[in-house]
Amino acid sequence: MASLLILSPLVLLAALGAVWMARPVHAALLLALALALNAVLYLAMGADFIGLVQFAVYVGAVAVLIVFSLLITRQSDETEEIARRPKALVPGLLCTLPVLAVLLITASKVPAASDEAPALPLKKLGEILFTTHAPAVLAVAVLLTAVLIGAALFARETKPNDP
Amino acid sequence: MSKDNIPLWSPEHLPLLPQRLVEMILANLGAPEWLVSISGFMVAASTVLAVFMTAFALLSLIERKTLARAQNRIGPNRAGWFGILQPVADGIKMLTKEDIVPARAVKLLHLLAPILIVLPAILALGVIPYGREWTPVPLELGLLFFFAVGSMTELSVFMAGWASGSKFPMLGAMRAISQMVSYELPLIITALGVVMVSGTLSLPEIVQQQGGGFWHWNVCTPWGIVAGLLFYVCTIAEANRCPFDLPEGESEIVAGHMTEYSGFKYALFFMGEYLGLFAIAGLFVTLFLGGWQAPLPGLGLVPTWLWFFGKLALVIFSYLWIRATFPRLRIDQLMRFAWLCMIPMALLTLPAAAIWHYMGRGPLSWMVVLPLVLVPWVLVAVIFNKRLAPATRTYRFADG
Repeated sequence: MASLLILSPLVLLAALGAVWMARPVHAALLLALALALNAVLYLAMGADFIGLVQFAVYVGAVAVLIVFSLLITRQSDETEEIARRPKALVPGLLCTLPVLAVLLITASKVPAASDEAPALPLKKLGEILFTTHAPAVLAVAVLLTAVLIGAALFARETKPNDP
Repeated sequence: MSKDNIPLWSPEHLPLLPQRLVEMILANLGAPEWLVSISGFMVAASTVLAVFMTAFALLSLIERKTLARAQNRIGPNRAGWFGILQPVADGIKMLTKEDIVPARAVKLLHLLAPILIVLPAILALGVIPYGREWTPVPLELGLLFFFAVGSMTELSVFMAGWASGSKFPMLGAMRAISQMVSYELPLIITALGVVMVSGTLSLPEIVQQQGGGFWHWNVCTPWGIVAGLLFYVCTIAEANRCPFDLPEGESEIVAGHMTEYSGFKYALFFMGEYLGLFAIAGLFVTLFLGGWQAPLPGLGLVPTWLWFFGKLALVIFSYLWIRATFPRLRIDQLMRFAWLCMIPMALLTLPAAAIWHYMGRGPLSWMVVLPLVLVPWVLVAVIFNKRLAPATRTYRFADG
């Protein structure tokens, strides 16, 4: 409980910083910090597997991808800042509110947290994931494959003169 | 493991001695339980650090000596006999140098980057089983922890490159990140094969299953030799060593992301690099070369951690040998090799490992699995050599 009280304000601060920072790189690094702190939060709650996966996937892959895309697309102007547009608040809220609503509805359905976290061995977790939830895994796999093919199509250089 | 019936001074338990002593002394002084366990952990961590810091110092000398021998030179021989005091001299030089921060640098990130590069390497060293009794932190999810922590390195490299506010570090960081991302894929996929066959993510358990002679090591299985080779190549790339050392290729971009660092921060980068090298080579030994297992049964008298460090030394020496032998790749060759050769081959080891897992060890599974990995291997090699290799260069004036 103490770790939750200490960590969650830090996560919130880092996330807010990621939104408010004027320079894109600072925002990206703070986002990475927020994701890493989230992983620590999972670890503190005793969910070792999900915590380490969160770290490997979000800090190791997602944050690095964001940073890398910043590196590639960065303009020569180093002091480029993100313009703040009040109008952007509307689509932003439109995206955020449904997610928040779904989260709250799900949270209300989950039984109140007990002190003792249910121990779930990794093997059991894998079995559940690949039997009960196999359709979801397959759907995500298909989606990711489609995204990959799409990305490859976009990235392919079109040289009209080349055979 | 009960602590009372183990002989304190046996060679097998020698690396645990400092931890045991501190715990015993504290317990006898009547310290509370948590203090004893925390102190024990800290002493265990310090033992690992002390071992690898010494190894780092020695390796920096041995590397220079080996390279010198390979290039028909003598190498460092002024500081102490055989240059043995050279690491000390280097350390003093690094510590007394001026710490320069470029005017255009982002101060905080510039300071944080070298620290965050050493940190994951040290953390990763903590989960490797060095001996039968000597695993500093025997995590159940050890392998996952290793990769999760290791993935932090890319962000630190980016921070170093970006925060320096200069061109060479930026280019070096871009090269380093693209290389690490590309080679991390086959690295993890080949490690997955081991996980599939062992059925566990715990590194001590993986080593335990490779006991009983070298033919039980993962590298001595048809899928294991392919996965092991791929993993080995990836470890070189992950450690940014020659022939994959473009992120810091001296002749091209000064020192890559470390260009704007001096003094002890620069030394920290080196330390992170070498500790990371030890960690990833140690993981290779653990996953494929049987970890601390003796190569032949009946060698029980030799403490197991000696076997581990012997294998580690061999692997590290092979890195030095490769560095002395191969020229540096170009960035497009490097990326093409990763995406068109390494990753398909790594993916192929997965079904091979699965079949091996279900058929069990035996001549029949050899006959099934070996062609499964060998045929595509040869095919990919042929295709890679023929269709994808750069066109033959023609020299207008030199050919004739």
